[in-house]
Amino acid sequence: MFLNRAEGLALALPAALFTFLVFLVPVGILLSVAFQAESGAWSLQGYVDFFSEPLNQSVFFRTLKLGILVAGTSAVIGYAAAFCIVNLPATSRGRIFGLVVLPLMISPVARTYAWIVILGRTGIVNDVIVGLGLSELPIRLLFTETAVFIGLLQLFLPLMIISLVSAMENIPRDVVPAARVLGASWFQVFFRVILPLTKEGLVIGGTLVFTGALTAYITPAILGGSKVLMLETLLYQKVNVSNDFVSASVIAMIVIVMCFSANLVLKRIASVRR
Amino acid sequence: MTKYIPILALSAALTATGAAAQDKLTISVYSFAQDAYKEALYDPFEEMCGCELVIETGNSVERMAKIEANAADPVIDMAVISSHDALSLARKGLLQPIDTSKLQSFDKLYPAAQDPIGDSMAVGYTFYASSIVYREDLVSIESWNDLLGEKLAGNVSLPNITGTQGPLTLMMLNKAEGGAPGEFGATISEIGKHADDIVTFYSRSSELAQLMNQEEVIAAPVGRFAWSRFKSSPLPFAWADPKEGQAGGMNVMIMTANNGNEELAYKLMDYWLSTEVQTRVAEALIDSPANMDVKVSDEVAENLTYGAELINSLNILDPAVIIANRDAWVNQWNNEVIR
Repeated sequence: MFLNRAEGLALALPAALFTFLVFLVPVGILLSVAFQAESGAWSLQGYVDFFSEPLNQSVFFRTLKLGILVAGTSAVIGYAAAFCIVNLPATSRGRIFGLVVLPLMISPVARTYAWIVILGRTGIVNDVIVGLGLSELPIRLLFTETAVFIGLLQLFLPLMIISLVSAMENIPRDVVPAARVLGASWFQVFFRVILPLTKEGLVIGGTLVFTGALTAYITPAILGGSKVLMLETLLYQKVNVSNDFVSASVIAMIVIVMCFSANLVLKRIASVRR
Repeated sequence: MTKYIPILALSAALTATGAAAQDKLTISVYSFAQDAYKEALYDPFEEMCGCELVIETGNSVERMAKIEANAADPVIDMAVISSHDALSLARKGLLQPIDTSKLQSFDKLYPAAQDPIGDSMAVGYTFYASSIVYREDLVSIESWNDLLGEKLAGNVSLPNITGTQGPLTLMMLNKAEGGAPGEFGATISEIGKHADDIVTFYSRSSELAQLMNQEEVIAAPVGRFAWSRFKSSPLPFAWADPKEGQAGGMNVMIMTANNGNEELAYKLMDYWLSTEVQTRVAEALIDSPANMDVKVSDEVAENLTYGAELINSLNILDPAVIIANRDAWVNQWNNEVIR
């Protein structure tokens, strides 16, 4: 536009250099370690070894399962919340949207520790369970897959809601009433009007939530512990307990591939619906 | 360029005299109780030797990796570590034998601490007992087998296999079941069968203290060095005396090979093992003494692993057995217990 080529390059240079040095170079090193055998030759042996271990298989499938569950559940809750938020009057919309964003401003460590207070044996949930006589003694809620699921859902649901709200705000105001007037049920309105018009928001939100759930460390570490290992907690163990950087790089690569694949799959689903 | 040479020479000379005036000893230690150690050991030693102590801390894996990575030109001169980690470093040729004639208090050490891994490659400086800490208002513990029993199901934590406490727990469970010494396969399978009854596998004693104070867990095996964390809690914690006895472990001092700083390292070892420092460290409730001449009050002794009778009664796991079997144990553990 008003810049010549040299000025444009000069402006882009600091960001490009920063990205190159602190992102592309380390990822390059990681990639090279993850595809090398002990002898230094190129090899896929690390991946064969990784997936031949039953423990690693179960950690991989648990991570995938929890990632899909968290992304799916946050999509369901997120659509309901986003639909509600965009239909509010402007002032309350701002307030409610602020409440959705608020948790993102609190450290994930603090948010995760809060779940220990809530889900612990002396926590609120157990007080209610024992108080209502559903169980004589407090039940174990921490260090289970359910605890990790709840923690991750709470952590990443706001990202889904934000993506869906901005997608829904772009839907022309009259299309939903028009569909209703023409006799569509709410079910049809959702699947044939709202969903197709907001699928880009769903792809973005789904990718953010799935990627977040896959790469979260604090939440599975605190709420899952060593019995509910996920890929990230396993990666930490490989580095810090076994000093095994090859397996750690392999896990890192697997997580990167899973995140990219999730984005591609979601985009694919979205384009098929068109 | 030539005009800079005198300046370079001068600055090099200044650096050299600086180094001579202030000798430097780099040691690698466990990261716990560093403030207390500074007061009881580091500061008095620096004053005595007129040298500078550089303290490196971290978990065992990190510290061992650093010693191994810098084997050609050692950064760490002297380290304190568990006896089996010391043996594994010794087998890689990373250590040098300790000349015990340079340690004045050597003869005062418990016999078990004098040459714990063979070839004088290490000297023990502290013992610790390991037993079961439990809520005495809720359960009673008579045997290590109680850990997998009905009364603790869903309320017990065990140490992870990868830490120091893991193999000690396996040894005692194996003893309780009457298994052959050092053969833990059946014990690990037994833990695997009860995996759902175990709340979690902890890695650090601080993590366990948190779990027990939150009432998530009511019993777990732990080292005596962590007892003060439980003793100060408002909850009624007790230390079990199971019929199979208590397990025991030892931490040792090692000297890295070819570090070139042996003289100063011996000075520190000698000082650390002296009755004076071992008493001070014991009274600060940091580490239990390996020096038999250390005398402490009953109140202090109660918090430590103290006295010949107790130390000689401990069930000690041979470091060589740990090194020979650890990979197999971890594999079996990962497949049958963690899953």
